[in-house]
Amino acid sequence: MKGLNGKKPFSFYLSVCLLSILILLIEGSLLALFFGGAVMPDLLLVMVICLAFIQGEQKGMVLGLLAGLLQDLFFGPAIGFFGLAKMVTAYLVGLASREIYKDQLIGLMVIVFIATFVHEFIILFLGLLFWGGTGSFFYLLDILFLEKTVYHLLLAVPVYLLLHRAERHGFFYIFPK
Amino acid sequence: MDQTARRFIIFLSLVMLLIAAIYFTGDLRSRRTFAEELLLTAIAPVQGFFSEVGWRTYHFIRVVRDHDLLLAENKMLQQELAVRDQLRHRFMELQKENFRLRQMLGFKEQAPFALLPAQVVARNPTHWFETITIDRGYADGVAKDMAVVTARGLVGNVLKVSGSSAEVLLLTDPRRAVSALVQRTREPGTVVGIVEGHPEEKGYLRMLNIPPGAKLRPGDTVISAGLGGVFAKGLIIGSLAEIGADQFGLLQQAVVKPAVDFNRLEEVFVVTGQMPAQGQDT
Repeated sequence: MKGLNGKKPFSFYLSVCLLSILILLIEGSLLALFFGGAVMPDLLLVMVICLAFIQGEQKGMVLGLLAGLLQDLFFGPAIGFFGLAKMVTAYLVGLASREIYKDQLIGLMVIVFIATFVHEFIILFLGLLFWGGTGSFFYLLDILFLEKTVYHLLLAVPVYLLLHRAERHGFFYIFPK
Repeated sequence: MDQTARRFIIFLSLVMLLIAAIYFTGDLRSRRTFAEELLLTAIAPVQGFFSEVGWRTYHFIRVVRDHDLLLAENKMLQQELAVRDQLRHRFMELQKENFRLRQMLGFKEQAPFALLPAQVVARNPTHWFETITIDRGYADGVAKDMAVVTARGLVGNVLKVSGSSAEVLLLTDPRRAVSALVQRTREPGTVVGIVEGHPEEKGYLRMLNIPPGAKLRPGDTVISAGLGGVFAKGLIIGSLAEIGADQFGLLQQAVVKPAVDFNRLEEVFVVTGQMPAQGQDT
C-alpha cells in the first residue's frame, strides 16, 4: 500500500475533513434519532482507526487530530477534548499497524477492539479530570464500552474495505494541491 | 535524532497543547471563537437539512410500522382534547378570579414567560455528554444560561451560543444540577433537593439532598425551585419514580422520571425573559 508518499497531503487531509463533517452530520441527525438515546457506534472513530491502520502513525496522528477537532466543534465540551482522544488513539493504531500484516482482517479486528477501549478510556479520564465523576468505571465499561465495541467490530471490516478501495482509486486525492 | 523519536516528541507536544486547550476552552466561555463561528454558520443550513431528512424518514417509518397504533392513539387524543377543552375554560375562569383576588390583596401578577420557538437540528451522539443543537443563536436574542422548555416541561439551559445556532445542555447531562422541590409538599416542610442526570440510569434524573423526614410518594411532581438563578420557579422537571435513603443513610434520594422525552426532541422553546405582566402598564 502506497500511503501518502509522493501524493498530495493537503488533498488527503481536506478529504478526511469533509468525510468527517459528513459523518458528524449523519451521527447528529439520522443516527441519533434512530438510536433514540441508546448506545450508538462512533462512526468517526471507526473511520479514524481504519485510516490510521492504512496510513501509519504520522498521518494517523494528524487525521485523528483533525477529525477529533471537528467533533469538538460540533459536539465537544471543549476544544481539544475529542481531538486529543482521537489523536492518541490514531497514533497508537498507526504504531501497532507496523507490526500487523494488513491483509489479515483479524489483525484489524483486534486493533479496533483495543482502540475503542483506549479511546473511551481517554474520554472517561478527561471527563473525570475536567468535570468530575460521571458514573462508576465498571458501569461505563459494561454499558458503553461493550455495546460500542460490538458495533465497531461489525462496522470495521466494511468501513476498512471501503476506505482501502477509496485510497487505491485516489478518492482522497481529488482536490488540487 | 531518528524519525520515530522526532514524531514522538511532536506527539507529546500536541498532547500537552490539547490539554491546555481543553482547560482554556471549557464550559466557562459563552461565545465561540471566530473560526468556530464561521464554520458553524456555514454548516447550520446543512445540519438543518440533515435533521429534516431524519425526522421525515422517522415519521414515515413510524406511520407505516405503527399505523394501527397511531389510529388508536389519535382516537384517544381526540377524547383527551375534549376533556382538555373543558379544563381550559375552567382554567380561564380561575385565572380571572385569581387575578381579581391578587389585585384585591395587592399582590403582583406573576408574568408569563416570553418564549422563542426553536428547531432541534442535532443531538450529541457521543453518549458522554447530553446536549442538543438548536437553530437559534444570539442573532435571535438567545444568550448563555437561558432556560429551554417544551410544553411538557424543562429541557435544560443554553450552554454555548453562536450567530445562528446554540448548544443546549440537557437536564440529563451529569454536568447539570437544578434546585428542585416536590410540588405536593411545598407548604411547611418544603422539600428542596438537587436534581441532576442519573449517572447509571440512562434517561433518568436523580434528586439528592432530600430531608430525611420528607414524606414523598412515587408519582409526585418535581418542579424547579428557582434558587440557582438560571431556571425560574415552577417549571416541571418530572415525577418521582423511586425513593430511598442515600448512600450514607442520612438523607433521602429519589430517581426522577423526566417529563420530557429527551430522545425525541424536535421543537423546543427558549425562555428569553418575562412578558409584561397582565394588568401592568407596558
